[in-house]
Amino acid sequence: MSKPAPQTHEAPKLRVLEQFLFREARLLDEQRWDEWAALFTEDGTYWVPATHGQPDPLHHVSLMYEDALLRAIRIKRYSHPNAPSLQPPPRSVHVISNVMLDSHDPETGACTVNSRLVMVEYRRDSQAIYAGACTHELVRDGDSFKIRHKKVELVNCEGALENIQLYL
Amino acid sequence: MSSYTDQQLAEMVRDECVHRSLYTDPEIFELEMERIWGRAWIYVGHESQIPEPGDYFTTEVARQPVILIRHRDGSFKVLFNRCAHKGSKVLENPSGNARFIRCGYHGWIYHTDGTCRTVTGGKAAYGNSDSGCPQPDLDLKPLPRAASYRGFVFASLAGDGPELEPWLGATAASFDNMADRSPEGELEVTGGVLRYRHDSNWKFFVENLNDMMHAMIAHQSSAQTAQRMGQQLFGDGQAPAAIQILSPFASDANFFEKMGIHAFDHGHSYSGGKISIHSAYSEIPEYTEAMEAAYGPERTREIFSLNRHNTVVYPSFTLKGAIQTIRVVKPVAVDETIIESWTFRLKGAPDELLRRSILYCNLINSSANLVGPDDHENYHRIQHGLKTQGDDWISMHRYLDADEPNDEGGRSATGSSDMVFRNQFKAWKAYMTGANGAGTGR
Repeated sequence: MSKPAPQTHEAPKLRVLEQFLFREARLLDEQRWDEWAALFTEDGTYWVPATHGQPDPLHHVSLMYEDALLRAIRIKRYSHPNAPSLQPPPRSVHVISNVMLDSHDPETGACTVNSRLVMVEYRRDSQAIYAGACTHELVRDGDSFKIRHKKVELVNCEGALENIQLYL
Repeated sequence: MSSYTDQQLAEMVRDECVHRSLYTDPEIFELEMERIWGRAWIYVGHESQIPEPGDYFTTEVARQPVILIRHRDGSFKVLFNRCAHKGSKVLENPSGNARFIRCGYHGWIYHTDGTCRTVTGGKAAYGNSDSGCPQPDLDLKPLPRAASYRGFVFASLAGDGPELEPWLGATAASFDNMADRSPEGELEVTGGVLRYRHDSNWKFFVENLNDMMHAMIAHQSSAQTAQRMGQQLFGDGQAPAAIQILSPFASDANFFEKMGIHAFDHGHSYSGGKISIHSAYSEIPEYTEAMEAAYGPERTREIFSLNRHNTVVYPSFTLKGAIQTIRVVKPVAVDETIIESWTFRLKGAPDELLRRSILYCNLINSSANLVGPDDHENYHRIQHGLKTQGDDWISMHRYLDADEPNDEGGRSATGSSDMVFRNQFKAWKAYMTGANGAGTGR
């Protein structure tokens, strides 16, 4: 009997990837935290380095480096009644652009997507503007994807920044 | 010239309260830069940041740009970052290596000890001692005083005053304990820096470090959540480091009372000692082995048993020996302060220790951390609350006269006492109204 031909994945269309990233951004802006967290794989990580070109999240400080547990704590904190810095609550707008497919593994369907982000965080009469490059490492999940790793490299990551309360 | 007389300044600090202007008046802030930050020892950097000749690090002392540099003879120098010619900053990168320091404007070149090597077009144009013309000093100027304790470099803008080590007093043991936690007795700055901007006066942060009353309230949202989640997911088993780091911030009032606070000359203080929010971290057996091999079991136990929480070296520096981090206070304006957080590797210790320090700083000290935003917010609210005419005075009454002398030459009190604040303002008053910090002792 001949072996069945190995299943291969076609490179995802940019439009599909864009829609995935737009949807993620929308979940963040609408503060649908649980739905957002569900976009990640169980071992999925979220990383905002503190230095440009930072190679390592474990031996160098980061603005954020979170696994599922830390995401769960942060998300739970968002609805805690006694968090002074969340009263009044912050809001955000994420704008995603320049989406490009960097690599694609036809065997697993995993891919790496690069995009640019502008995020505005507003709270109590002041708004901060963050801009950066995002890298999403995605794995196949049926017709869609899950995030195995998301990295947001802020253009001013070394700057003396005030509170960043919401996910970038 | 200040419009405040020394007497007016002195009257703004009473034994049990301080005037709100100390946090809100730009003129008082300028006086603080001159009289406190211009007289005390101010933290500059750590010698491990400049191991090789020519290695340099740029920072500020009392808002003035300075350079910490390793000279070719192995000594370090703390120089004003100002060309002797037109005043341009000569080094602009945060750190690097320079065989010579060259000004980017007219190309004057300096040796790594600040002495002038070359003036573009020749030094002769600036006259010589025989000509009778006044000659400029062609060298980069050093800060009046610089000294290092266990590699931690401090400098002073004042030419006289106490030496660094006696000035550190009982807080020196906190530096010792941090370095002694390395099996080789040495620390190395590693893992970068977190720079966190606050829209509030520098003193709120410096006071908050040993404010044992706030953690269980201000940090409830993260710490209580972590505590509950830890209990839910891991029960009485060993929880991951993130849970171990966050949960103790929600310890009860009793725990913080028991930690205790200790105040010393020149406004210094520390909290904890036997216990702290860091003392229940799970043991790393490989690390204990390395320590015992280096020091023997008894000395190792002694080193581990010292568990100070925050040590404050007033006004610019705070250290956590048990977690190998420091935070550096950089005032910008009366209502603006940058707090820098640095991590250290314990030489000869397993990697896990550094990873724990890094995790700690990410979770507690980064601009996007889980604990600091609530401190940041509370400072912001005080900064604005103090604009009201509701009361000109801020209370420091709690457990007034209830502290007792300790065997380190300072005084100790129950955790929730305001003693540390009273002690900081005693130093504040002495610096602001005395000469060169005379009288900042008890």
